[in-house]
Amino acid sequence: MSEPVSRRDVLHGVVRGGVLATLGGGALFLVQKAHGQVVWQVDAARCINSRLGDTGAEACKLCTTECVVALSAVRAVNEYAKCGRCNICPAYFNITSAVDEKGLPSEKLCPRDAIARKPIGKADPEDPANNFYEYVIDEEKCDGCGKCVMKCKEPLGLGSIVLRVRYDKCVNCNRCAISRSCPKDALHQIPVEQALRSPESLHRTE
Amino acid sequence: MRGAPISTQTLPTLRSGAFLLLLLFLFFSFVPTLSAQAIPYSRPVETAPQADTIGGGYKTPAVQKPLPRDALLQVLDVLILAAAMGAAVWLVLKRRSRKWVLALSIGSLAYFGFYREGCVCPIGSIQNVAVALTDRTYAIPMVVTAVFFLPLVVALFFGRAFCGGVCPLGAIQELVVLKPLCVPPRLDRALGLLKYVYLALAILLAIKPALGRDFLICRFDPFVGFFRRTGAPHMLLLGGGFLVLGMFVGRPYCRYLCPYGGLLAWCTRLARRGVTITPDKELDCGLCAEACPYGAIDHMRAVRKDCLYCARCYASCPRDGDLARAKAQLVTLS
Repeated sequence: MSEPVSRRDVLHGVVRGGVLATLGGGALFLVQKAHGQVVWQVDAARCINSRLGDTGAEACKLCTTECVVALSAVRAVNEYAKCGRCNICPAYFNITSAVDEKGLPSEKLCPRDAIARKPIGKADPEDPANNFYEYVIDEEKCDGCGKCVMKCKEPLGLGSIVLRVRYDKCVNCNRCAISRSCPKDALHQIPVEQALRSPESLHRTE
Repeated sequence: MRGAPISTQTLPTLRSGAFLLLLLFLFFSFVPTLSAQAIPYSRPVETAPQADTIGGGYKTPAVQKPLPRDALLQVLDVLILAAAMGAAVWLVLKRRSRKWVLALSIGSLAYFGFYREGCVCPIGSIQNVAVALTDRTYAIPMVVTAVFFLPLVVALFFGRAFCGGVCPLGAIQELVVLKPLCVPPRLDRALGLLKYVYLALAILLAIKPALGRDFLICRFDPFVGFFRRTGAPHMLLLGGGFLVLGMFVGRPYCRYLCPYGGLLAWCTRLARRGVTITPDKELDCGLCAEACPYGAIDHMRAVRKDCLYCARCYASCPRDGDLARAKAQLVTLS
């Protein structure tokens, strides 16, 4: 079926070619400056809950309440290498609660009971301060409220617990909803390779 | 101390802490009536004990690092997007099948909507492309570039195949069309201008300096709350509102607000092919125009910029239906 080519068709063809060239040019420009994926991450040195100097304040809960994901994509993470493995962990126990018969605070700090405490090796009851305990955060339970992060820092803790964006949960919004309300501008976008390299590299450089 | 012995010189605080806690322990075991008070707490360690300090073969557990979605899977998303658009073009222009294009859009709703939770989508990528074109320090992954440009190129040749076969926002509205009313053409045209206002606004807010930058289209995406099965109450309400409205006004978001729909509409003006109502002999019965919920059939001709590739017109056409299957035949009335 051959139809006669009208002037309109030719004109359309020319304009279409022009638009295609423009789109192609735009795409090429974007591709030549393209980089890999960027992800949102919390800068622990800025986050109110983990940075030094805000001890005793109420933990900032914005990471829990602002995230668009049902249970926030921000979770508390224990950097085990920095953990003091204390007998009475100020992030595990509510250290202002009454003491029970074992000499330990009777209440836990985490409202969702997401932290597990287990002795490393065999616990010596005679020498409780020198027993080491491993504190493991169950990330499926954690909602990133930051209470434990606030308590695990100077002067009581070593600051081993920090808030981190978990990439299997994060939907990588164009503008992270938490970052929009974060008072310290602690969330920022970094290349994914950098985010996976080391905890230190998470700090903002500029 | 178990395992490796520690000298008191290296860890004096451990010892003093131990002593203090021992005292406290004794204190509380002898004065049980006072045990309801809080203990004064002092930090027992100043440095984190490492595996060799702890001893007993202890290994510091690795901190888990969940990975984001694999780059290969993201490329797969683009391939699926391209394949789905190709399928939509074929099903609508060649097969002329309402059934199959509906099945395709339901599949896309499941994958791009509920599985990929509405991201990455060409609609939102308008903003990223706008920022990347204007901000020297901002770049976007190639995947986003592809997702933005592919549907536009397809629209330049075949019309809005993306809207009908791939877009999850379109598909969810497609499914609720119940009793579409005919929007008066003038009102339809006036409301249709809204999407260009929205487009301009979204671009203006996106190309602001980094800190004041806002991604309007993503923030007010009416259906992403459904796709994620969670969201702020006002956003879910807005989405629900659009779905209820969509029962009586066909695909209101696509026709009046979708900024990407605006870009696609421009491209379709140059399209080589599109949905054609009457390929050979027309019946002039007007059933197709009645069947079109989007007011895209004007004087028995499909308007490419408004046609959303749903293929309802074919389904309602006796030529494509009963006549084609020889269940009925044309008679000439004398």
